[in-house]
Amino acid sequence: RGSSDGKPPKFRPPPKPVIIDRKTQKEERRFLSPEFIPPRGRTDPLKYYIERKDMIQRRKVFNIPEFYVGHILAVTTADPYASDKSNRFVGICIQRGGNGLGATFVLRNVIEDQGVEICYELYSPRIQAIEVLKLEKRLDDNLMYLRDALPEYSTFDVNMKPVSRMEHEEIPVNTLQVRMKPKPWSKRWERPKYNIKGIKFELPEHKMKAAQKWSQPWLEFDMLREYDTSKIEEKIRKELSEELEK
Amino acid sequence: MMPIWTKSGEKRAVTLLKVQDCHVLRYVSKEESGGKTAKLLVGGKNVSPFSKRESAHEIFREAGVPRKQKVTTFNVTDDALIKPGTPLYAAHFRPGQFVDVTAKTIGKGFQGVMKRWGFKGQPASHGQTKTHRRPGAISTNKAAKVYRGKKMPGKMGNIYRTSFGLKVWRINTKHDIIYVNGSVPGHTNCLVKVRDSKLPTYKDCNKNPPFPTFFADGDEELPEDLFDEEIFQFTDPSVTFA
Repeated sequence: RGSSDGKPPKFRPPPKPVIIDRKTQKEERRFLSPEFIPPRGRTDPLKYYIERKDMIQRRKVFNIPEFYVGHILAVTTADPYASDKSNRFVGICIQRGGNGLGATFVLRNVIEDQGVEICYELYSPRIQAIEVLKLEKRLDDNLMYLRDALPEYSTFDVNMKPVSRMEHEEIPVNTLQVRMKPKPWSKRWERPKYNIKGIKFELPEHKMKAAQKWSQPWLEFDMLREYDTSKIEEKIRKELSEELEK
Repeated sequence: MMPIWTKSGEKRAVTLLKVQDCHVLRYVSKEESGGKTAKLLVGGKNVSPFSKRESAHEIFREAGVPRKQKVTTFNVTDDALIKPGTPLYAAHFRPGQFVDVTAKTIGKGFQGVMKRWGFKGQPASHGQTKTHRRPGAISTNKAAKVYRGKKMPGKMGNIYRTSFGLKVWRINTKHDIIYVNGSVPGHTNCLVKVRDSKLPTYKDCNKNPPFPTFFADGDEELPEDLFDEEIFQFTDPSVTFA
């Protein structure tokens, strides 16, 4: 490898090997369903342990996929009064509530100009299939404001095809700013207690300022409201992974 | 409290009751107690012995058992007597049985007449002077007295109440837990007395329960969970209507 001039070529150190540890990357992004985390209270932890055993038992038989608020899901339930005994509903998940076996999620869709919301229980035996059609997180945890938004933001095609997605990709966050119907709304979404980032407020400036009167800036510093779930989550994650591998 | 589902897909609410260190303490014969049947004293939930004087520990010392927080009596027929000192387990009950649960209700303190007895009170406006939650009249003119037992403000709660005819859905023998239908009086983690139902509709409901009780060192080997026939077990696939 001679160069054009007599000098030896400049020493370029070899590129350092970069070790991509697949295992640690996977562990960082593991999802723990929010209904596994026990709420703060005076109940015996044995009760939560027994409930978790039942939940794991159900998950072994029936696959409950990972999903967040903002995903578009299709749920098939058993319906004794339908002609083919099953009922399929497609909608966007606007809220996930409840702890333990009674965990619920609400799906919303607009069918023939009528807004429909159905609250399903995750562990109910009548649910026969849950498919995730589109994965996207939104800016908020609670999309109840879609009730007061223009109906185009809540309509989803009932025969939508599932959007394919790679396993290790991050879940995309949709920064959509939703336009609202004229006031009055079901709740005053401009107030800081709801902390909504996904609405494009077209209200005049003085109204937005007046809404800030109800802000409670001391709440984030309140130590009694702190509930650190990191250690509890780790224990539950270990328990889950052990049980599901059995 | 927890939800459970039946095989037809209906949801029921269920209370979990834990049988914690229950032992039979003493046998009181019919003549001694003066009642119609013999009685068995049963104690539950171990507690430190240092907070009571020595004379109160006699019963526990005779039975050979640590000091219990609560001692209750059960009226028992002569063929169902148990030797003092035997531990009692949740497997004493079987799924499909009906049960009465007694406990002290949540104490609400001194409460007014609207919360305690459900009186309607008075309107909030239209000229009412300082009268919105008061009882109003307490008797008539002709009576010229107030009857005994008149509903008035007072201490509410913290008294023993029973819920009758609760179905037992499931029993966990490993952790000694009974799953009982519906709600039960008392706050979370309070002491509760569970008894076979005395309602006439459920007189013949007990099909071969363990008699006189379930003995842990016996030959019977029970599975960890005992389910009722109608309950949906999570090992089964999802419910479908044919």
